[in-house]
Amino acid sequence: MTGQTKTVAVLRYRPEQDEAPVWQEYQVPYGDDTSVLAALNYIKDELDGTLSFRWSCRQAICGSCGMMIGGKPQLACKAFLRDYPERVTVEALAHFPIERDLVVVMDGFIDKLQKVKPYLIPREMRALEDGEYLQTPEEMDLYAQFAGCINCGLCYAACPQVGLNPDFLGPGAIALLHRYNLDSRDGGQAERMEMINAELGVFNCTAVGYCSEVCPKMVDPANAVNVNKMNSARDYFFRFLRPAPKQGGCR
Amino acid sequence: MQVFKADVVIVGAGGAGLRAAIAAAESDPAQTIALVSKVYPMRSHTVAAEGGSAGVVQAHDSFDHHFADTVTGGDWLCEQDVVDEFVRECPREMVQLEHWGCPWSRKADGHVNVRAFGGMKIERTWFAADKTGFHILHTLFQTSLRYPSIRRFDEYFLVDLIVDEGRAAGVLVVEIASGEFTLIEAGAVVFATGGAGRVFRENTNGGIVTGDGMAVAYRHGVPLRDMEFVQYHPTCMPGTGLLFTEACRGEGGVLVNRDGYRYLQDYGLGPAEDKPRNKYMELGPRDRLSQAFWHEMQKGRTVDGRYGPVVHLDLRHLGEARLHERLPQICELAREFMGIDPAREPIPVRPAVHYTMGGILVDGGCASPMPGLYAAGECSSVGIHGANRLGSNSLAELSVFGKRAGEAAMRYAREASRADSARLLQLAEAAATPARALLTGDGSERIADIRREMAQSMEEGCGIYRTGERMQATCDKLAELAERYTRVRLTDRSSVWNSEWLLAIELGYQLEVARAMAHSALLRRESRGAHQRLDGFEARDDVNFLKHTLSTRAADGVPQISYQDVKITRSPPAVRAYGAAQHAAEQAAQGGAV
Amino acid sequence: MSKRRPYVRPMDGWFKRDPFFIEYMAHEGTAVFVWLFALEMLAGLFALAAGEAAWGGFTAFLASVPGLLLNGLILVMLLYHGVSWFLIMPRTLPPVRVGGRKVPGSTISAVGLAAMLVASFAVVGFFCLLANGGQG
Repeated sequence: MTGQTKTVAVLRYRPEQDEAPVWQEYQVPYGDDTSVLAALNYIKDELDGTLSFRWSCRQAICGSCGMMIGGKPQLACKAFLRDYPERVTVEALAHFPIERDLVVVMDGFIDKLQKVKPYLIPREMRALEDGEYLQTPEEMDLYAQFAGCINCGLCYAACPQVGLNPDFLGPGAIALLHRYNLDSRDGGQAERMEMINAELGVFNCTAVGYCSEVCPKMVDPANAVNVNKMNSARDYFFRFLRPAPKQGGCR
Repeated sequence: MQVFKADVVIVGAGGAGLRAAIAAAESDPAQTIALVSKVYPMRSHTVAAEGGSAGVVQAHDSFDHHFADTVTGGDWLCEQDVVDEFVRECPREMVQLEHWGCPWSRKADGHVNVRAFGGMKIERTWFAADKTGFHILHTLFQTSLRYPSIRRFDEYFLVDLIVDEGRAAGVLVVEIASGEFTLIEAGAVVFATGGAGRVFRENTNGGIVTGDGMAVAYRHGVPLRDMEFVQYHPTCMPGTGLLFTEACRGEGGVLVNRDGYRYLQDYGLGPAEDKPRNKYMELGPRDRLSQAFWHEMQKGRTVDGRYGPVVHLDLRHLGEARLHERLPQICELAREFMGIDPAREPIPVRPAVHYTMGGILVDGGCASPMPGLYAAGECSSVGIHGANRLGSNSLAELSVFGKRAGEAAMRYAREASRADSARLLQLAEAAATPARALLTGDGSERIADIRREMAQSMEEGCGIYRTGERMQATCDKLAELAERYTRVRLTDRSSVWNSEWLLAIELGYQLEVARAMAHSALLRRESRGAHQRLDGFEARDDVNFLKHTLSTRAADGVPQISYQDVKITRSPPAVRAYGAAQHAAEQAAQGGAV
Repeated sequence: MSKRRPYVRPMDGWFKRDPFFIEYMAHEGTAVFVWLFALEMLAGLFALAAGEAAWGGFTAFLASVPGLLLNGLILVMLLYHGVSWFLIMPRTLPPVRVGGRKVPGSTISAVGLAAMLVASFAVVGFFCLLANGGQG
C-alpha cells in the first residue's frame, strides 16, 4: 500500500430496499498489486459489510468473480486498480439479471452448460482394465483450448445477442459442446448437432467477436460458434446424402 | 422450512463430493442423491490444484514404491493398511477419469504421460499441464450431469448436521439466494467439504476453504484427527500466497538463496546436481523444503521482498517453449500478478499454508464413528497423509475415497431405517435457531477483526516451527476470540445473498478448527513431519508419539486431546532420509539383507 | 416467501455502450455501401443495355463531382469493411495448421489483407492496361 487511495464506484442493488440499482462510492487504499477483488474485500471487511460478491480462488481459475470493471467484463482477481484513473466502476456482469449487488443469477447459464451434453459419449467402449484411450498430443491439441473454459460467464456479458435474447445458447456453452465434438475419443457429435442447429443455436450469433476478446483463458468461443455455423450448414445440405449417423455407444 | 427427501446427501461438490455422487448414482440409480455445495461445483477449490495426481503406471515403478514414498513422507503416521489399498486403487481411478474425458497430458504415442514430484522415488504423477485439478473437477462435474438421480443444490450453505438418536439423518442448509432454510433428509450423509487453510494468514487456498464440514462434525462429537499437521507449500507468491506448483521443480526448477546458492544441499537433501533427481534437493518433501526456507531466513540468507523474506525459484534454464507447454498457468500467474516472465527472471517465493493433513476421523471405508456419517477428501482423515502429505496424493485421494464414500453411504442408506420426518423437522428448526440469532445479534464485535486476529495468531503459534509458549499463546488467543465471537454484530440483516451472514457462520467453523489444531499441536511434544518444535522436542519420539491425535470438542468448546494407535503393517518407523543420505540408507539396508 | 427480486437491466442503446460494439456496428453499417456500389454497377449495366446515350449519361455522372464524391466515399467505406472483415476472419475459420503448427490469427488476417491488396492492384492494373489500349 502506498497510502494513496482510489475511488471504487460499485453498482449496488439490494432487492429488499432498492427499487433499482444505485451507484455507491468507496475510497480504497491501493498499491501496484492491488486487484479489484482485493479492493472489494477491503470494502467488505473495513467499510461496508453489506456489499455482496462472489469470489474464491484469487488466481483466475475458479471463475467466480466475473464482473463489469470499467465497463468491461473481467475477472476481479485479474484486474488491477493501478490500471485505472482515480475512479473505477464495478458493476454486475452485463446481460445477467442482478440477484444482488455484484451477484448475478447464473441459473440460465448453468442450464445451458448442462444442455449441450458436455461429457464424453465414447466412440467405442473400453473397459477400465484395458487402460486409457490412446490420444496423441496432436489430437489433444485440437480441443485443448476449448477445454480451458472456466465457466466464468464473461463471454455472455460480452455478447449483445445474449442480452437481446437470453435464451440463445451463447458462446461458453457452444465452446464446451465443441470441446467434446473435437475430442478423438468422443462419438456424440450427432446428438449434439441438434442444439447447434436449433433456433437458439449458433445462428443467433452475428459474429461480434467480443466474447473471444474478453475471454480470460483464450478459449476463443467465437471460433467455436462460427466453425459450428459451417458444421450446421454442411449438416443441413448433406444430411440427405449420408447414411444415418452412428450413435454414441453408451447411453 | 422447505424439506427435501434424499437417500444420500453429499455436502461439498469438489472432486471428492462429485466422485462420491457419481459412485452413489452408479451403485443404485433408483435412489436420490442430493449434492449440496455453497458454490457452483466448478468453483470448488479442487479447481486450483495444479501439479498432478499419483498413480503407479511405469513398468519400473511399483505399488511398494508408492506405499513407501507415502509412508516415509508421512513420517510413519499413516494407516498403512489404508495406504496399501489406496496405492492399488489409484491407477484405476486415474484411468476412470481418462475414460470420462479428463485431458491428461500425453506422450507422443498417445499414452498418458507422468512427471516427477517431490518426495517421490519414481515418476508417477499424472498431469493435465499445470491445471490438473481444474481438469479433474470439470471432468467430474460434467460427467455428473449424465446421472439424473443426482439432484444438485448449488449455492446452498451448510448450517448443521441433523443427528437423530446418534445417527446422521440429514443436513440443514440455507439457500444463499433467498436466505431460506431447507432440511435435506437422508439415510446417509457424506461430508466432502475440503480443508481449512484459511484459518492461517498467508495461504494458497480459496476464500471458501473454511473447514465447514470438519467443524460441523466436530460440534456433534465426531473427533478430528491429526489436526496439528498443516502443510506449508514451499513455493508460493509472497503477499497473496498463490501457489507455484511443485511441478515447477518436477520439471527442473531450482531454489536459490540471495547468493544464488542452492541452499537445500545444506539440509540433508543434497548433493546438488544439474539434472533433477527424484527425492533429492528440490524434489525433497514439502515439509523439509519449507523448514529449510525458515533456516535460511534465520541465517539471513534470504532476499528481502516487499512481503517479507523470499528465495528464488529459477525456471529460466527450462526455456520459454517448455515453460509454456508444461507450466502455462505458472507463467500467467507470474506475469499478471508479479510482472515477471519466468523465462527471463527467477520468481520470488516463500512458503504458505497449503493443506490440512488432518480432518474428520474416518476408517478406510470413509465411515466416521457416527453411524450414517461419511467423509472423503481433505476434510477427512482417512489416514494416508500422516504427518506430511506426499505431493499429488490429494487428487488421487479424492478420487479413490470419494468413490468409496459414495458407495459406502449408498449401501448404508439402503439398509438403514428412515427417521421420523416430523422429528427431523423439529431438530432442523432447533438447529436453525443459532444461525438466525447470529443474523440479529446485538453485540459489538466485527467478524473481520476476529478473523484477522485468528489468522495472525495461527501463523504465530502454529507456523513452520513451533514452541510450547507460542502455541499456548495461540490457544489462549483463540479462546478469547471464541468468546468474542458470541458477541458479533452484523451490519447486514437482509435475506437475499447475505454474504456477511455466511462469513459469520464460516468464522464460527474456522474458530472450532483452529482451536483443534492449536491444542493438538501444543500437546504433541515431539517433532514429526509438518509439526516441528524448537523448545526441546526437536526429535521424533516414537515411544510416546507414534500415535494419532484425536481432538474431541467438550461442551465448553475446549478441545479434549486423546491418542489413537497408528496401524503399522509392514513398514516399521525408520530414519526419514532424502538425497544422498537416503541412498546410503537404502544401500546399507540392501547390504544387510544380503 | 422468497425476497428474491432479480433486476434485469435494459438493453436500450447497447451498441453505444462499448467501443467494441461501436466498431462492430460500423463494420455492419459499412455493408450498406457494398449494396450501394452493387446498385451503381447494376445501373451501369442497364445504361449499357439502353444504348449509347444512356451509357454516356452514366459515365458523365461518374466523372462529375457528386459522382466522384460518392464513389470516393464508397471506396473508403468498402476499405473499412474489408479490413475489419479480415480482422475477424480468424475467429470464423477452423484452426489452420501448417506443418502441424497452428497458424496464429494475426497471420491469417495479414494474409487476408495482403490478398485483398494484391487483388485490388491487379484489378486496377488490368483496367489501366485496358484504358491504354494494351499499350502499357
